[in-house]
Amino acid sequence: MKRLRALEPLAWVGPAVVLIALVVLWPVVEMIRSSFLKISRFGVVQGGNGVANYEKLFGEKDFSDIMLRSVIWVVAVVALTVLISLALAQLFNQRFPGRKVARWALIAPWAASVLMTAIIFKWMLDPEVGVINQIRFKLGLIDAMGGASADQLGDASTAMPWLIFVAVFVSVPFTTYALLAGLATIPGDVYEAAKMDGATRLRTYWSITLPLLRPALTVAALINVMNVFNSFPIIWAMTHGQPGYSTATSTILMFILKGSNIGESAAMSVVNFGMVIILTAIFLKVSRWNKEVA
Amino acid sequence: MNMKLVGGAALGLATVLVLSSCGSGGDSRSTPKSSAGGPVTLKMVAADYGDGPGKPNSGETFWKGVVDEFQAANPNIKVDVQVINWNDIDKQVATMVQNGQVPDILQTGDYSGFVKDQLLYKVDEVLSPNVSGDMLQKFADFGKVDGAAYGIPFVSSARALFYNKDLFAKAGIAEPPKTWDELKADAEKLKKAGVSQPDGLALGQEEAQAESFLWMLGNGGGYKDASGKWAINSPQNVETFNYLKGLVNAGLTTPNPGTKDRKTVWEDFGAGKVGMVNGGPMSIPIFDAAGLKNYGVAPIPGKSGPLDTTLGVMDWIMAFNKNGHAAEIKKFFDFFYTGSAAQKISDTYKLLPVTNGGIQKLSGDEKLKPFLDALPNASFYPFQDPKWAEVNPQIKQTIGGAVKDDPAKVLGELQKTAEAS
Repeated sequence: MKRLRALEPLAWVGPAVVLIALVVLWPVVEMIRSSFLKISRFGVVQGGNGVANYEKLFGEKDFSDIMLRSVIWVVAVVALTVLISLALAQLFNQRFPGRKVARWALIAPWAASVLMTAIIFKWMLDPEVGVINQIRFKLGLIDAMGGASADQLGDASTAMPWLIFVAVFVSVPFTTYALLAGLATIPGDVYEAAKMDGATRLRTYWSITLPLLRPALTVAALINVMNVFNSFPIIWAMTHGQPGYSTATSTILMFILKGSNIGESAAMSVVNFGMVIILTAIFLKVSRWNKEVA
Repeated sequence: MNMKLVGGAALGLATVLVLSSCGSGGDSRSTPKSSAGGPVTLKMVAADYGDGPGKPNSGETFWKGVVDEFQAANPNIKVDVQVINWNDIDKQVATMVQNGQVPDILQTGDYSGFVKDQLLYKVDEVLSPNVSGDMLQKFADFGKVDGAAYGIPFVSSARALFYNKDLFAKAGIAEPPKTWDELKADAEKLKKAGVSQPDGLALGQEEAQAESFLWMLGNGGGYKDASGKWAINSPQNVETFNYLKGLVNAGLTTPNPGTKDRKTVWEDFGAGKVGMVNGGPMSIPIFDAAGLKNYGVAPIPGKSGPLDTTLGVMDWIMAFNKNGHAAEIKKFFDFFYTGSAAQKISDTYKLLPVTNGGIQKLSGDEKLKPFLDALPNASFYPFQDPKWAEVNPQIKQTIGGAVKDDPAKVLGELQKTAEAS
């Protein structure tokens, strides 16, 4: 009887565990299995393939560039997002007229579909008719519409900053709200005490706000790291990873490979999966190191 | 905390094991053979030639019309059509095949990959001789692998040069260019007349392989040489891309062609921003929608004279043998090709027919005439080569780099992909 009672919690968590097993663990197992199979482009499984898929993947000419770019992409987008969000959260935590409206407005980029946002930015950057280029043309920054100078998405050096900008644009709302929630949990009397001790504003922010904000900041940044690493629609909609592979991240490469070699694509997914785990581990380590300093 | 997590994970893993063992235990291989007399449902997967779900020309609407008519005549056969857009159809069908849920009928851009694994019926098992006899011979031949026909040509299209007559008049050009030298001279005139993209060049992912092929043909090149060996980095092709690179560097083309999709460039042509562009019957609706009327169609210029061939593209319909519905599929195919359906698809989507009868019926259409004339002598991608399936996505992604970086190097990389075993 007692033993039966001990099993009781299972009835409650069981369904959730089954669900997780079905929609999370099973696909992971399938993904890893597929990466060791030889699968034709038409989906016919032609038997085992050992590590050949991985060898082929690592042998791709653009592979190392793409992996490096993926890391830069994640670091750049997450760092900018967090910095901007810290400032915005601080701003929105103040009382000022129209705060409600401003807070609502910030939700817009979050509420809109990421794909839609990306497509709209692609249109705005269209070399012939895009509104951003028309403004640049009116300002005299470019000589003519339709030429190479108006085609910022056509070259990696100008396309990457735009891609990062759009990624930051869609990530900022969530991050700001997470930090705003964090700010709301910091009790007012701590600030009062700091004031009594004569701490400067900068000192207060550095020694009180930031350390107390750490849990919210860690969670927000961590979710961003994973989101941005797996981010597909922005780059796909705006550049397809082109010219060549020069704006592609590993997620984009995975999708392109799916069209020619499913096994290799699965291998790329496994590598991606490993990268996310490594990035997360590094990040957690770094943020814990922060705690010791604080 | 951590212990709990480990416990949960272990439990989850155990559940997976139980579930997967259930899966393999309950694997019942039911292969429904067509039983005589009883109603049969044919599962069909088709690509969408229209503008997507909800649009008046969507594939759903088209196939519903065909199927309704067919089912009225054959009450014992039901046809379930699933229409998938072009971007996803290959990947989705691959998933179906991987999971063993193959359709009975598939209509898409390629058939050859299913042949080796013996998934398809031979054409004579599912098509009456009078229908297969009416197919354009050159097209039907491309449906064969090792002498046996598996793919049935469904629709086709061809390419030609579209030029904007108003812009040509404005630049003082009397007639469309015939050679590359003329093309360059005309492009310079158009540029002086203020045209931002004198020559529309779409080497972006959507269809870089087509645009490249058309230019390669102009210099006697191609993806393979006459003996059937891969020749992507042949001297002719390198010369071709050097010529294109010259045009790009002089600002005579669409900027950064390696990132531009054909649809964008066609839309720009429709908007009067492009002087000339390679297109096909399927670009006519885009030009119409943009309101461009005064354009001409001419053969594509080559290095020393207009092309006597052009790129022909065929789409295919095929029958899978897993469910054993040969007799029913045959009825449906015969109905499709002998009835009004094949004609309707040409009318709706400006696609070209694949039968002699169909070409005759359309020969009165002024706009389609240049394309119909070009069909019998068309050139095709080497899609029967199994490597094409792997080379093609590479071409789409990287060949645009050949007009920016070193052509020999970019084409050499593609050649390496094609030759790798």
